[in-house]
Amino acid sequence: MPDRFAPGDAVRTSTADPAWHTRLPRYARGAIGRVVELAGHHPLADDRARGLPGTTQAVYHVRFTAADLFGDGDHAVTVELWEDYLEPADPQGGTP
Amino acid sequence: MSRINDVGGMVGFPAIVEEPDEPTFHADWEAHVLALNAALIRRGVYNLDEFRDAIERMEPATYLASSYYEKWFTAITTLLVEKGVATPEELAVPRDASGA
Amino acid sequence: MSGDHHGSSAISEQVRHVEALLEARGLVDEGELDRRIDEFLAGGSPANGARIAARAWVDPAFRDRLLADANAAIRELGLSMSGGLQEQRLKVVANTADEHNVVVCTLCSCYPIALLGPSPSWYKSEAYRSRVVRDPRGVLEEFGLELPPTTRISVWDASAESRYMVVPRRPEGTDGLSEEELAGLVTRKGLIGTAAV
Repeated sequence: MPDRFAPGDAVRTSTADPAWHTRLPRYARGAIGRVVELAGHHPLADDRARGLPGTTQAVYHVRFTAADLFGDGDHAVTVELWEDYLEPADPQGGTP
Repeated sequence: MSRINDVGGMVGFPAIVEEPDEPTFHADWEAHVLALNAALIRRGVYNLDEFRDAIERMEPATYLASSYYEKWFTAITTLLVEKGVATPEELAVPRDASGA
Repeated sequence: MSGDHHGSSAISEQVRHVEALLEARGLVDEGELDRRIDEFLAGGSPANGARIAARAWVDPAFRDRLLADANAAIRELGLSMSGGLQEQRLKVVANTADEHNVVVCTLCSCYPIALLGPSPSWYKSEAYRSRVVRDPRGVLEEFGLELPPTTRISVWDASAESRYMVVPRRPEGTDGLSEEELAGLVTRKGLIGTAAV
């Protein structure tokens, strides 16, 4: 599987609230950010924590503005996220 | 289901406390817990993600009241039981050996 | 709060009991834990990070290589991220006059141990993990680091497989110092981003 995203792409994080171990922090759920760079390929942590083999997929540094995460603040937060947590987003676009 | 470890952005936690000249371990047992965990992961008894998961599944009040390596030890014993390595009774210190 | 490390004799006794049980079951070898503890204590140290930062200050080409591919660049100094089961990816970010970086792991306690050694307790505390992503300027002020309002703050949450290290800004008035003397100025907090250097 080719990587789904490239640096500069706008992405929206999942809003899912899984019952299991996950590495998408709650504060970054359902938020729009921008891919900074690829950070390698690894089996999804959610799968490994449940004893599943876990398909290897791309992991990205994704940068969010504090305003987009929290509604205020002038800093940025970069979170490292598996491809499974991300969907394409158009930051200029309105409702999907 | 958000878990108690997922604290990023939460309010209400107190000021950050720095410990000057902090030692790596505050007691011998902490070092043993660290090494025990490394040994069990290397043996394939469980993996690192299962270990993190076991910490996160702690009862929230217990998680917040536990020190770092207390959380680790709780996770280790949880996984030893779940993986069928030992029963809770076997993991408990025998009464006659506890000096109580 | 989880700042209390001082284990009672009860937990110490239980750890010994579990250890003996696992030895009896052949899951831990005799002497293995002591060996692992010694290895851990002899592993990484903030001095490694300080050497990297000082080299980046004196050698702009090294700095570029470090920011592009940290794992390859630190090998030039004889360092690596392979203290654990496998080599971890290292991502190095550098502070500038315009941008200050600070590292956290909000979900647990991810930290470049192979390179920098064990992390301080405050790094693992819920207080730091909860607040630095929401109010980094306030947290840095608590550490005594007041940044100009024009300096942007960039927080890096170690939520997956990479580990992060910050290269602080080179202090003013250090032109005459050797690389080794420069390394002596760099602190662990500087490498995490909660101190200027």
